[in-house]
Amino acid sequence: MNEKVIVANKGLIRADFNFWVGRYLDKFYDNLENKKIVGNTCPKCGDVFVPPRKICGKCNEVIPLEENWVDLPETGILINYTITPYKVNDRAFRKVKKPQTIGMIQIDGSNTALIYRLLNLEPDNIKLGMKLKVEWEENTKGDPSDIRGFMKI
Amino acid sequence: MEKVGIVGYNQVKLYSDANYGRYEMIFEAVRGALDSAGLKKKDITTVVSATNDYYDGRTISNALTVEPGGGYLADESKVEMDGAHAVLYGLMRILSGNHKLAVVWGGSMASSFPYHTARLYETDPIWERPLAYVNDITSAGFQMRAYMEKFGVSAEDIAKIAVKNRKNAAKNQLALVEAQNPNLTVKDVLESEIYADPVTELMVAQPCDGVAALLLAPEKQALKITDNPVWVIGVGYNQETYYLGERDLSSSKSMELASKMAFNAAGVKNPLSEIDVAELFEAYAHEELILSEAIGFTEKGKGASLSSEIGGDMPINPSGGALGGNPPCATGLIRIIEAVKQLRGEANGYQVKGAEKAIASGQIGLCAQNNILYVLEGGN
Repeated sequence: MNEKVIVANKGLIRADFNFWVGRYLDKFYDNLENKKIVGNTCPKCGDVFVPPRKICGKCNEVIPLEENWVDLPETGILINYTITPYKVNDRAFRKVKKPQTIGMIQIDGSNTALIYRLLNLEPDNIKLGMKLKVEWEENTKGDPSDIRGFMKI
Repeated sequence: MEKVGIVGYNQVKLYSDANYGRYEMIFEAVRGALDSAGLKKKDITTVVSATNDYYDGRTISNALTVEPGGGYLADESKVEMDGAHAVLYGLMRILSGNHKLAVVWGGSMASSFPYHTARLYETDPIWERPLAYVNDITSAGFQMRAYMEKFGVSAEDIAKIAVKNRKNAAKNQLALVEAQNPNLTVKDVLESEIYADPVTELMVAQPCDGVAALLLAPEKQALKITDNPVWVIGVGYNQETYYLGERDLSSSKSMELASKMAFNAAGVKNPLSEIDVAELFEAYAHEELILSEAIGFTEKGKGASLSSEIGGDMPINPSGGALGGNPPCATGLIRIIEAVKQLRGEANGYQVKGAEKAIASGQIGLCAQNNILYVLEGGN
């Protein structure tokens, strides 16, 4: 094999995007800032979405912005999880010091699942169907990181 | 469906780091496909490619592939999906009646970018991306657990698929060297590094460098070009919702519907008895079981009971499948090429005897959100 020649080994492209959160998620984030979880309901099938959606894909219906909001508890059940030693957001796919447990949590009264870290739970103590509760960040900012993760009740 | 013939193909050897230019690789694949059919650049009437701007590190990534891909001053277009989806586009171009020869190629070089991070950038930028918990690997962890929990399937049963495919890959000279292992055991797979529990390293189709190309022609033209065409007799495709929290990850609804559509077109009533060999795009070992169940080879949750080795009841991925090497944007196209090889008796070292009808699949998205399935029939 010839010697490897890399012309530009750091082909970094910087492009800052400003993604519009939209009115539905804006309301959701405002509630997160106040340590509250809200969802919205499809007027046709009744599915409750967390985070809220503008459109129910199944029914192809717009969920009106001013209606169909549901206050939800900060509790839910664990429906799936995985444990990874890798840092997901890392260009070199490096490992973290302690494997992180990532769970899919269905908030009570909703039909979808959120994906967050499970905190203070050893792998042996994790059981699908277990009850969990939101662990809030102390100082919330109105973004997805306001939920630090989920803890066992 | 009107018959469209596959009249030539070529795939470059897969490498984890090919150490030669992407455009040379594309040229090698496309020119090799033309040579395999005794055709020349002037015979091409349309070119469809499958690449991904993010994977290629530039926008409109097909702009620089015009010359190597045979698209110089020709009708040319691109699909930002799996190569198997580019074949669908090529098929439609031929069926429009305006074209005599379509070149379809796809591929990329995973060695040039952090693949798993790129898959994080596939997630919703205003919700999941900032949290950085979801990428291809963690979502595969969810998918495998959902499958195991729902049906009581063991990790051993899933590891057996990795063993079978990596052993098959050892017979395929074009497979990734790192993926080839004739002596692999279930224990090796289970004890390999954990990527996202329960998924281990050897259950993951390793992203790599590679390009593949396929030639399509309308029936009359196909018969002029070769004595050994392979006919596309059915195709089906379907897509599920994006949000993982909304999906049942233990099965594949999109593949169930895609295969129904493809089998209807092809007139296949009982896939298990009518299909001789299957090449399925399994990005992870457990996906081969989920997909083969969705296709209807077994009941849901019973995929592991099927004997799917070469010589078994339904040989699946005799070439090694995606576990034999996963060049993004080429992998599904390679499954089609491998099915073509089986039908033409050209699968040296891993030929399924007497294969007359085959299926091949492609996929894209987290947890195989979108699936496409082809039914192919040998010409002679």
